[in-house]
Amino acid sequence: MALRTTAAVLVGRAVRVAARLRGGGSAIPGNIALRIDPGFLERTIARIPHGVVAVSGSNGKSTTTNMLAAIIRAHGLSVFTNPSGGNLPQGIASALLSEVSAGGRLNKDIAILEIDEGYGTRLAELLKPRTVLLLNIQIDQLNRYHEPDRVATMLGRVATASTDGLILNREDNFLVDMDARIPGRSGRRVSFFGGVPSLVDDASHGVASADRFDEGSAVPGSRAAAVEVVALDGARATLAIDPWTADGETGDSDAAGDAPSRTEIEVRLPARGMHYALDAAGAAATARSVLGERFRPELVTRALDTLETVYGRGEMLEVAGEQIEIIMMKNPASLQLNLDSLEGAPEQVFLAVDEGTPDPSWIYDIDFSALDHVDGITGSKAWQFAVRFGYLGIPVGEVDLDVRRALKAFLARPKPATGHKVMILNYEQMMLIRKILGFKELEGGGAA
Amino acid sequence: MSASLKILHLFPRLLGLNGESGNVDILRLRSEWRGLPVEITRHDGGASAGFGEADLVFIGSGPTSAQLLAHPLVLDVAAELRELAADGRPFLAIGAGFQLLGQTIALEGGDVLEGAGVFPVATRHGGTRVVGDFVVESPRLGTVVGFENRGSFVDVGPHGTLGRVVYGRGNTETPFEEGFWEDNLLGTHMHGPILANNPGLADSLLDTARTRRGLSYTDPAPERLREIDDRAREARGTIAAAPLSE
Repeated sequence: MALRTTAAVLVGRAVRVAARLRGGGSAIPGNIALRIDPGFLERTIARIPHGVVAVSGSNGKSTTTNMLAAIIRAHGLSVFTNPSGGNLPQGIASALLSEVSAGGRLNKDIAILEIDEGYGTRLAELLKPRTVLLLNIQIDQLNRYHEPDRVATMLGRVATASTDGLILNREDNFLVDMDARIPGRSGRRVSFFGGVPSLVDDASHGVASADRFDEGSAVPGSRAAAVEVVALDGARATLAIDPWTADGETGDSDAAGDAPSRTEIEVRLPARGMHYALDAAGAAATARSVLGERFRPELVTRALDTLETVYGRGEMLEVAGEQIEIIMMKNPASLQLNLDSLEGAPEQVFLAVDEGTPDPSWIYDIDFSALDHVDGITGSKAWQFAVRFGYLGIPVGEVDLDVRRALKAFLARPKPATGHKVMILNYEQMMLIRKILGFKELEGGGAA
Repeated sequence: MSASLKILHLFPRLLGLNGESGNVDILRLRSEWRGLPVEITRHDGGASAGFGEADLVFIGSGPTSAQLLAHPLVLDVAAELRELAADGRPFLAIGAGFQLLGQTIALEGGDVLEGAGVFPVATRHGGTRVVGDFVVESPRLGTVVGFENRGSFVDVGPHGTLGRVVYGRGNTETPFEEGFWEDNLLGTHMHGPILANNPGLADSLLDTARTRRGLSYTDPAPERLREIDDRAREARGTIAAAPLSE
């Protein structure tokens, strides 16, 4: 078995080097390692002293995992994490390859892993997470999951796997009572994060939680939050954090806000938007759950202040001396929340969507009033967007299915008088365009 | 009474998972931009107020959980809907809504739900889910494209259909025909804003509604519709040239 593991690691690494030289990482090395040694991932992960924290949900997995890893590191633990997007078994195995010894040992204290909701059940069996953070259930990839109810069921199975801690978004229609809908477990602490009602309601489309048609046992927002967003100012948020108590919490005490001993901290977000503030609250609540009395709220501020953004999540690219904001439209909720957080209609805006978004029907549910025009559209779904903008009366400059040509034309447009250009891209187009623009370091895979 | 078209949108809250309210907006804009105002009545349950005046009826799709909730509400207004259909008012019914307006729905657990009986079709849930681009050749309209996402079969008997399946599965195990289209009744599993890619279908429904009322457009071919229809033709061409499925 040891020989098999060594072979898996060495071959996987060789493939990884080859893939990098070609100009992109991928899930292929992990895939190969798993073929040689199917138990590689499970066995390596099982040896990590503080176990696994799993992060899942429709939106914000990468951002939140990134935040949580930084917060835990700030507390002095060494962290193994998967790069954004590498959230399938082969992506996680690929990430492991660069960190383990040839014998398959991983010298880290804790693993913080974003996991794909579609693979949640399988990954929960494989990774046996002690702590699970669930962010939200939004309308997402209907072509893949068919309906939000199914995603809720899948995430329920992931939640059930948690032994030590379960952290849930109380603003989400499906998550607010998730703890009551799964088998209980002694020793599992359930805690919630959320925002004060004024902030949640103010976000013009709320938190974009998917509609739920069965009866919930709790109304969104009704559970007491261990971490609550209490103020939001641009890309800075104030979080109020409950003190840690050894006897646990149920989320059922009276409305939060009464406890005099809550600590308020200010944190920097990747970009404007209540959804990022909730991600930060979720990361802080999870760090608090994992670390217990060792948790220090001020270290959250320090960790998030120095955090680099994850690709396409409020990222600013510099191209030929020009600033370009990347907005990733992963699904309806992320697009809507990102559009809502724009400060005024962008002067120069470009859109690229391809087969990575197989069915863009949902653009008819999106409020595009944050845009007053679109300069260029590309990708195989471009004409479908152009039809939508036609009915909305939003002028469209040019539609060109040739991505390179369309990108060139957009970059050649005059610099905006104020601010920066904006590109709205789906995941696949974001990766392609980064590559075209010469940003070589690609994500670790997962799209395979 | 001012001359306007009245669209009845059934269960927009429960049945609108795939951006299907877009169809109602598209019908409205295509009529209004040609000078014929439109009023929309949304019905989410309760009394069938305003049904009698409806010139066109739309019902969209949704998950099974929403379909089960909509079922008793549909039965509440089934008699009124059958009357509207018999009176020649055009219907566009998609996915779960199409199933509910049919005669029966056999669920995977074995239960059989009674439908509203507007469409003479029977649905059976089950089978492998089909997800992907959908291309249909319609004798009346030419190429019709959209997206197919269904886990059920629909038996339309000897009746007319939207068209022959070019890419995708269609009504039954044998890829052959898609949906139901006879006279004023159009039902399909081409979900989402089917009318966005296929403006000919929207115009056909509007024409049926208008003709029955003797209403005409003041500006039958406004420039902005021409521009949108050019884009829709490109969208159909792009999908039909390289359709994909999972």
